[in-house]
Amino acid sequence: MLAEKYQERIEKIFAKYPDKRSAIMPLLYVAQEAYGWISPEAINEVAALCQIDPTQVKSIAGFYTMFRETPKGKYWLQVCNDLPCALRGADQFYQELLDYLGIKDGETTADGVFTVEHVMCLAACDKAPMLQCNFHFHENLTMETMKALIEQWRAEAKAAQGK
Amino acid sequence: MTDTVRLIIDGVVHQVPKGANLVDAAKMVGNDIPVFCYHPKLAPVGMCRMCLVELGQAGIDKDTGAFQLDDKGQPAIRWQPRLATACTTVVTDGMAIKTTTPQVTEARDDIVEFLLTSHPLDCPVCDKGGECPLQNLTMRHGPGESRFLYEEKQHLAKHYPLGDLIYLDRERCIQCARCTRFQEELVGDAVLAFHERGRRLQIVTTSNPPFDTYFSGNTTDICPVGALTTADFRFGARPWELTGVPSICPHCPVGCNVSASTRLDRESGGKIVVKRIMPRQNESVNEIWICDKGRFGHHHSRHGERLTQPLIRQGGKLVPATWDQALALIAEKISAADGDVGAIAGGMVSNEDLWELRQVVENAHGGKDHKSLGVYPYRLSGAEWVAKVGLSKGSNFGQMGKGTTIVVIASDLSEEAPIWYLRVKNAADRGAHLITLNARPTELDRFAKSKLKISYGGEIAALKSLTEKPEVKDAANVVIFVGGEGLDRAGHATLMQGAASVLTSTGHAGKVNNGLIGVWAGANTQGAFDLGYSSEATESLLNKRPAVLILADADIVAEDAANVSLLAHREGKFTVVSEMFLTATAAQADVVLPRQSFVERDGTVTSGERRVQRFYTAQTPLDGPRPDWKVFAEINRLRTGSKPKLSAAAVMKEITEKIAAYKGLTYAELGKVNKQFPDVGGDDPYYGGTAYENKGGLGVQWPTEADQGKVPSVSMPAVGKARKLESGELLIVPIVELFDRKPAFAASAPLLHSHVPAPYVVLNSGDAKTLNLVDGDKAILSSGGVEGEYTVRVDAAVPAQTALVARNLNLKSPTPAVPMVGSIRKVEVVASHV
Repeated sequence: MLAEKYQERIEKIFAKYPDKRSAIMPLLYVAQEAYGWISPEAINEVAALCQIDPTQVKSIAGFYTMFRETPKGKYWLQVCNDLPCALRGADQFYQELLDYLGIKDGETTADGVFTVEHVMCLAACDKAPMLQCNFHFHENLTMETMKALIEQWRAEAKAAQGK
Repeated sequence: MTDTVRLIIDGVVHQVPKGANLVDAAKMVGNDIPVFCYHPKLAPVGMCRMCLVELGQAGIDKDTGAFQLDDKGQPAIRWQPRLATACTTVVTDGMAIKTTTPQVTEARDDIVEFLLTSHPLDCPVCDKGGECPLQNLTMRHGPGESRFLYEEKQHLAKHYPLGDLIYLDRERCIQCARCTRFQEELVGDAVLAFHERGRRLQIVTTSNPPFDTYFSGNTTDICPVGALTTADFRFGARPWELTGVPSICPHCPVGCNVSASTRLDRESGGKIVVKRIMPRQNESVNEIWICDKGRFGHHHSRHGERLTQPLIRQGGKLVPATWDQALALIAEKISAADGDVGAIAGGMVSNEDLWELRQVVENAHGGKDHKSLGVYPYRLSGAEWVAKVGLSKGSNFGQMGKGTTIVVIASDLSEEAPIWYLRVKNAADRGAHLITLNARPTELDRFAKSKLKISYGGEIAALKSLTEKPEVKDAANVVIFVGGEGLDRAGHATLMQGAASVLTSTGHAGKVNNGLIGVWAGANTQGAFDLGYSSEATESLLNKRPAVLILADADIVAEDAANVSLLAHREGKFTVVSEMFLTATAAQADVVLPRQSFVERDGTVTSGERRVQRFYTAQTPLDGPRPDWKVFAEINRLRTGSKPKLSAAAVMKEITEKIAAYKGLTYAELGKVNKQFPDVGGDDPYYGGTAYENKGGLGVQWPTEADQGKVPSVSMPAVGKARKLESGELLIVPIVELFDRKPAFAASAPLLHSHVPAPYVVLNSGDAKTLNLVDGDKAILSSGGVEGEYTVRVDAAVPAQTALVARNLNLKSPTPAVPMVGSIRKVEVVASHV
């Protein structure tokens, strides 16, 4: 339960707003962190915290692309291949990344570690190819640096699983 | 003319109301700007872009106020470079629009073409086909041929249940958000919302229960496509086969104007039957809304268990008889009773029926003064205060807002009269000061500026404190709803007096948008009071039952178990029951008369706002049942040789001559219709065609004494002694649940059966703990010698030592009619190995 587990954080969030319903989005991030995605239970919990209808929470979660409404890999890689990035080779980079992981656009690897998808502009055109992993930017990538990151994340995921 | 401004439409200057948006303003002067997302009852959002117009502003001479003219002598207009949405633009003086230019037409054509890119165009099998705004506007603006590739069309769910009453066809939805905005803005229950965005935008609900509000059916009316349909009417008929017959909803005192869509039906043996009930516009009563009880509760008129023959008790059994036999027997028994005759009428007995029944009883009494005309249920009283300071003639909740204070006491309007709830809620949204005074939380509390928690029995004291409140004392208008929760008849009469006292002492009587409303139990309880029936008479008739007791639509056994014995002792007593079904009461009768349902006949009923309204014959009547007024008139003819009236209209004419308040309220007068705004029932291609137009009359409110300048001075009744409960005792308080198991409703809507809760009792958490009961337990409630089994619900907000029991859910062992002391015990579940 979010309310117990993150009580202090939730209280801090509520303190920032005049109305409880204003806190929907920060609370959805808390839920996403806790569950890895915005599950139906997460929707109900956030709705109860904000004292609004679950449907309204679902609507917000659905509108914004940074809320995951389906379970995703531990590392959620969003690669920008909009025009400026594509000009810097992002298209080719993206295809190579998919091939390296052996999945297609939007899919998750069999071990559940990586989900890869292409997204619209992330506002770092000058540093393409770039991607966002769990909302952190990784810029000026090449397949070499990318492979290193992937192996690092894979190892971290394995270590976390082993615990 | 400060209230209007000049609007130039296609070169012609019109005067339109200030503050209106362009769509409404143009509509008022006969120019239909097409819309999809806009609806006059909802705030404009400008998201469908269908209402695009060329927009400009005429130059105005500051000194004279006249238009500056160009060299052709026409007003000089500066046009904006881009098209503007008319629904989101409020008219200002000198505003100019063009609605027929190629630029505008092309824009509208394009919008329709875009909407059709993924619309299934399955009009031939769509319930909306024939009354569909998208279909109509496609005929006007749509491309003859599609430029889009069929393979790229989206295929989505066609029968997605949003609840069990409303189905969504995702392919047909054009994302106008009328349904989501209706739920959010008007109902205040946002259980529908958009999900995703762009082309993937869809209507969803993740609420639990899903789309399940008392107003859900209305979304299907305002849906501009066939995306939302009711489970009741899906594939039921084509709109062009249907004839709209004006009627009045029989389920509660609001008196919603409805339209019964009828057709000659093959499945019904070629008879004319009602296929659906739609709202009929009456801006003073229900606007364009009805609740789901009214919408789906019409099937009882065609139910297989309807009584079709009179029944006479012979040898302890009710056996079929002819009308002649039954009526002759009744006439004989009345003659033999030597004036010991009384009648009790229920909630949906029309004014005409009541009048003829009154003649039966008065003739039996030889014209002498008597108190033998009762209403049922009889827990509510104080109608004389309504006659004195009732809601003033001409009042309209739709016009209430800032400056008006609305008080709701001892009533849960959302359950007892949903459309009053909706209109009060919306008045509160517009700025009205809502005060709720209840012993338990109610739905309206969410919108109340002050929620005054009272105890059962503390109502008068609470009212007294109101007179000192500035929100009441200094308000421009005050309306008070007086319900009867937690009160018996005398208690309610006193509370009505108290409310009348608040109104008169603060100077809020006899003015429009001021006055008192009794939240009566039935659709025509007000009419019964007007025609000389009273709760006091019912009480005395039940205390000392007369030799001949006539019960019309009064299921006294179902509502109060104590009445079984009253009817069962037959020695020298004779009971006549007029009912549609063999109810618990009818089963005890000596003669049962089958009565007609509201759709099989015409008549008038008087709403809780004292509006006398007509309903018309919609459906081919069943063979056998007759309208009550005809039956009672025939009894009179048999007894006195009087000539029966030939029509309900003639009976009403007699009422208008004998009852002062009803003077002049002939059928012709009640059938009059004035132009209403918003104009949604016309022949425009986007609101019209959904049976909204009122062609049956707006009804007439009869004036109170205060309306006629006779404001009485009313004293505040003394605060009574609080009820003392011994420890361990429980006060059993009957409450109202909208969907109940009354025969007329239970037979009516099998669709709603799953929405009717099992008999339940609500207890305070403390009491539940003491009694060792938890949520979901079964318990036996006993009061007044009657026991019944209920499911326990625990609610911390219920007052201590109180058990709330919903009426009419447990017809086998009825709940008490009025609050009384009782006890509760747990049903021990014996473990079994079945």
